[in-house]
Amino acid sequence: MTAPAVELQHITKCFAKVVANKDVSLTVNNGEVVALLGENGAGKSTIMKILYGLYGLDEGKIFVRGEEVQIKTPADAMAKGIAMIQQHFSLVPTHTAAENIILGNVRGYIPIKNYEQKLKKIALEHGFDVPMDRPVGELAVGQQQKIEILKALYINTSILIMDEPTAVLTPQESESLMQFIKEFAAKGNSVVFITHKMKEVMEVADRIVVMRNGVVVAEKRRQETTEQELARLMIGQELTPAVRDASRDTTAGEGVLQFENVSLQPKKGTALLNDIDFTIHAGEIFGIAGVSGNGQDELCDIISGVRQPTSGRVLLAGKDISKESIRARNAFGIGYVPVDRYRDAMIKDMNLAENILLKGVFDKKWFNRGFIRHKKLNAYTNELIERHRVKANDYNDLAGSLSGGNQQKIVLGREVDIGSRLLVFNQPTRGLDMGAVDRIHHVIMEEKDNGKAVLLVSTELSEIFEMCDRIAVMHNGRFMGIYRNGELTTEQIGLLMAGIHFDGEEAAAL
Amino acid sequence: MVVNILTRAIMMSTPLLLGALAEVYAERTGMMVCAIEGIFLMGAWGGFVGTYLSGSMLLGIVLAVVLGGLMALLYAFVTVTLGQQQVVTGTALNILAVGICAYFQRVLFGVPTTPLQIDTLPKLAIPLLSKIPFVGEIFFHQNILTYLAYILIPVSIFVLYKTSLGLTLRSTGENPVAVDVAGINVNRVRFLTVLVAGGISGLAGAFYTVGYLGMFTSNVIGGRGWIAFAICFLGNWSPKGAVLGTLAFGLADAISVYFRIGTGAFPTELIIALPYILTILLTIFRSNFKVPAQLGIPYSKES
Amino acid sequence: MKTRANVLLYNVIAVIVGLAISMALLAFMHVNPFEVCGKALSKIITDKYNLGEILVKATPLIFTSLAFAFTYKANLFNIGAQGQFLMGSIVAVAISLALQGKVPTFVLLLIVLVASFAAGGAVGGLIGAAKAKFKANEFLVSMMSTYVISNFMDYLLRTSLQETKAEYMQTDAIASSAYLPNILPGTRVHLGFVLAVVVAILVSVLLNHTQLGYQIRAVGRNPNAANLGGINAGLIYIISFAIAGGLAGLAGLTEINGVQHMLLREFNASIGSYGIGIAILANGNPIGCIFASLLFGFLNIMGTTMGRLPGMNIPASIIELIEGIVMICVIASYALRYFVDNRNKKKQMRKAGV
Repeated sequence: MTAPAVELQHITKCFAKVVANKDVSLTVNNGEVVALLGENGAGKSTIMKILYGLYGLDEGKIFVRGEEVQIKTPADAMAKGIAMIQQHFSLVPTHTAAENIILGNVRGYIPIKNYEQKLKKIALEHGFDVPMDRPVGELAVGQQQKIEILKALYINTSILIMDEPTAVLTPQESESLMQFIKEFAAKGNSVVFITHKMKEVMEVADRIVVMRNGVVVAEKRRQETTEQELARLMIGQELTPAVRDASRDTTAGEGVLQFENVSLQPKKGTALLNDIDFTIHAGEIFGIAGVSGNGQDELCDIISGVRQPTSGRVLLAGKDISKESIRARNAFGIGYVPVDRYRDAMIKDMNLAENILLKGVFDKKWFNRGFIRHKKLNAYTNELIERHRVKANDYNDLAGSLSGGNQQKIVLGREVDIGSRLLVFNQPTRGLDMGAVDRIHHVIMEEKDNGKAVLLVSTELSEIFEMCDRIAVMHNGRFMGIYRNGELTTEQIGLLMAGIHFDGEEAAAL
Repeated sequence: MVVNILTRAIMMSTPLLLGALAEVYAERTGMMVCAIEGIFLMGAWGGFVGTYLSGSMLLGIVLAVVLGGLMALLYAFVTVTLGQQQVVTGTALNILAVGICAYFQRVLFGVPTTPLQIDTLPKLAIPLLSKIPFVGEIFFHQNILTYLAYILIPVSIFVLYKTSLGLTLRSTGENPVAVDVAGINVNRVRFLTVLVAGGISGLAGAFYTVGYLGMFTSNVIGGRGWIAFAICFLGNWSPKGAVLGTLAFGLADAISVYFRIGTGAFPTELIIALPYILTILLTIFRSNFKVPAQLGIPYSKES
Repeated sequence: MKTRANVLLYNVIAVIVGLAISMALLAFMHVNPFEVCGKALSKIITDKYNLGEILVKATPLIFTSLAFAFTYKANLFNIGAQGQFLMGSIVAVAISLALQGKVPTFVLLLIVLVASFAAGGAVGGLIGAAKAKFKANEFLVSMMSTYVISNFMDYLLRTSLQETKAEYMQTDAIASSAYLPNILPGTRVHLGFVLAVVVAILVSVLLNHTQLGYQIRAVGRNPNAANLGGINAGLIYIISFAIAGGLAGLAGLTEINGVQHMLLREFNASIGSYGIGIAILANGNPIGCIFASLLFGFLNIMGTTMGRLPGMNIPASIIELIEGIVMICVIASYALRYFVDNRNKKKQMRKAGV
């Protein structure tokens, strides 16, 4: 019997804030596809980054093809035929595909045309049609991923690690990726596939390793397990999903947010938003499904006031707010949890009270003649911490010292209190652990029951199906249609996300 | 007179070009060398001291490069290895450079009664080329450092855009993660580039003493390091842009030196301040800067 | 509170290390560092005038360090304190010369106070506006503004502001009725020192306890998030730079009306860059700026005293050397503290985890 391609033994890795891996052992055989399944923060990426030399390990051993190896840098890993495609692609957006692929693997003078031709040939051999001479920042995500794969193929990788490769793909694009993985493994190569999506695991994996809280909790052959079992192993506890009363007609309530033929057309290029028209009612959760980057962020920007539409109107409770400042909109009762909280919603090196104040700078209740009412603010912050079960000592903790889930709870708590009429959530649970996701879903449901109008943007279909009353599918800045929850199958929604109207009768937009 | 001013403009452009190219290399990897003013000063002083003590201009220039490199080493250690803020570290080193030069100048020479003088680099006329009317006189009656700067222009363009080294440098400033994942040590790239930039900037500094003044005062640089820094910015981080910017500033510098002799009601100070005013105006009114995406941001793997 | 004490401890140790390195460098002058320092120290301590000079030197440094610290906490780099100070000085000397004898001292000083603040503030405000309206790099613009203003000052010293004798490039001396009152007889310490301390405290309150201060800190640390909070970042850039410039401008009042009593070329040429160093030493804390300025004032006097020690021949420029070394040590100490903290946390994690 030949030695396994990779064997990790008793790996432990600590960061300043968390123990990322605790005594993790893992084997990958030749020609095998191993799925590394687990919630966000389970330690899947960390263990693979250790194998790829991006992180150093604190304890443990690594064997490649039976030989103990020291992998200190990605260069060591690549020399052993290991390649890893990061979740957030590691491409230089201003450089061409060819430049990206050869980075680190050329010496001296670069005859770029020769390389472009050579790479084009390799690409076509694998059925990839990627322009080699255009800046990759201009290409679609699907194309970018192919470039990442080409990077690995270019160095003759035999052990390929992919971190959440389908997160940014449409269901159909994922399908062709799965096909590639199967073919690649069939040639005797090994693939480690990091994911938290059950469906993919069942489709492509030979063996499944489930991780939770930094440890391996189970190892199963695909034939021996079911999606239900894997889900239970992954989450570790039964969670009660927020209950949705499906029978209620949610469009009966008063219209709170209304988009009237809103478009966002930059001076150059295609429209970012194209004739968007919808109404969200009080007591309704309106979901926007779609692959990220199809105009969802721009739509949120227009509601919050960061960007102005080039045509059309936005109304809040019948009043045109298209021209209002962000400050005015905050005062109107719009709460907004943006997709990137680090960038847009919090200040890492300020304490929690000061982060609460971020959205209340112009609210008189926090000030006395221009001076901050610290006592009142601190007390309110402590109350928020308690109400949303944030794991923090008190108001004086730095926001940056909290875990992602707890930071998001603070942001959520703040926005929910400010948004007396409308709440906008842009992927509020992305990258969070299950407990935090659960809490956030409950809060959103509560607020809906309080009669607020809620806009929920998500790329996770399960979240959309679980939470929303109505669903709009977005593609390329357009709504592909607006549907009641339950009207669409996963497959239909997948086609819509890819910009294809499914066969047969198109469902009438509501 | 025109030929005179233009010849002088090319001469005054030399250190600015060297400094700006050094800065382009470093900033393409994401490292602003904010200590450039201090490095220039160290180079100027090193050039002077080396030449004065050894009697050899070559040794003076070598010392300038070494001292520039040492300053850059300290800068790289604090900003790359220790990950501290670049602007802040640069400020500290600029003050330190003034202290080192002034103090050791005193240690070495005490308080001389007459200013200490060294010979300056001779003008070398390039055979044939210098015979071209007008152009020959302006471009090919210069000292060796100017010719070195000429050579560095095509070399820089070639290295940055046509070689693996250039690809690595450019990638490091745009997306260090991509570089790291490609198996290249980001901080080593940055550290070494800063070191090289320091050496070149030290050479640039030496130009002011060994190249044309023949003496050293602690205000010999007078903000020209910052001008080089600004040229890199205004030239959009490209060698070609640096050349264009350098010529503009060199011209302004030459004109101001020319006018410094005159007095009277005419506001000659305005002309002296021209390079600085030019920088401000260009910084304000030029849009579409292609700033390297990770400029000034430290890279750490596990955060 | 624990972390703040920790920061202070690291700072103090860094300063001591820096001073020790600097002392060692004295050996290059072929003197015994301990002997020199001892002599200089005893000379300062036993002389009331010298002690007073520490406060005199610290006064303008408090202002210029505040000028940097004010925007530094907001992640903006006001490198132009020197120019803003010079602008304040120009206005201070011009107004003093024009109004002296015509209005009571108190009124004159009040006018100069407002005017020098406004003059420095105008320069700062323009830098802020360039950033707000044109997204100009504030670092470059403020850096260059100093050179422009110092040339502008040279021009004035040669023309409209030149002394009546028209011999040197300097102004006439202002009348004693326009002096800032002395507060410690036997020294040169003037009211400006008290003003500086009060202003530092006010700045601290403004930054940490008011609506405006909060906005400044928020914009500096995360402009995107501040924008979503409805804060007008452009306006905040202008206001914060204007205030920072005004603070530097106030040093013009204290130096013209308190110390020099006239304006001349190369006027206090390095208090701007010292100010930056001091602010860094104080980690941007306004109260810390007071103490760091006093330290710099002390070093300054130490330098000049050493220079005057008979037979030693120590240059006053040792001061730049000391200050540069001390600053590098302090910056390095930030990294060290971060490293030690991180390692301790990791150790704790490991103990708890495994």
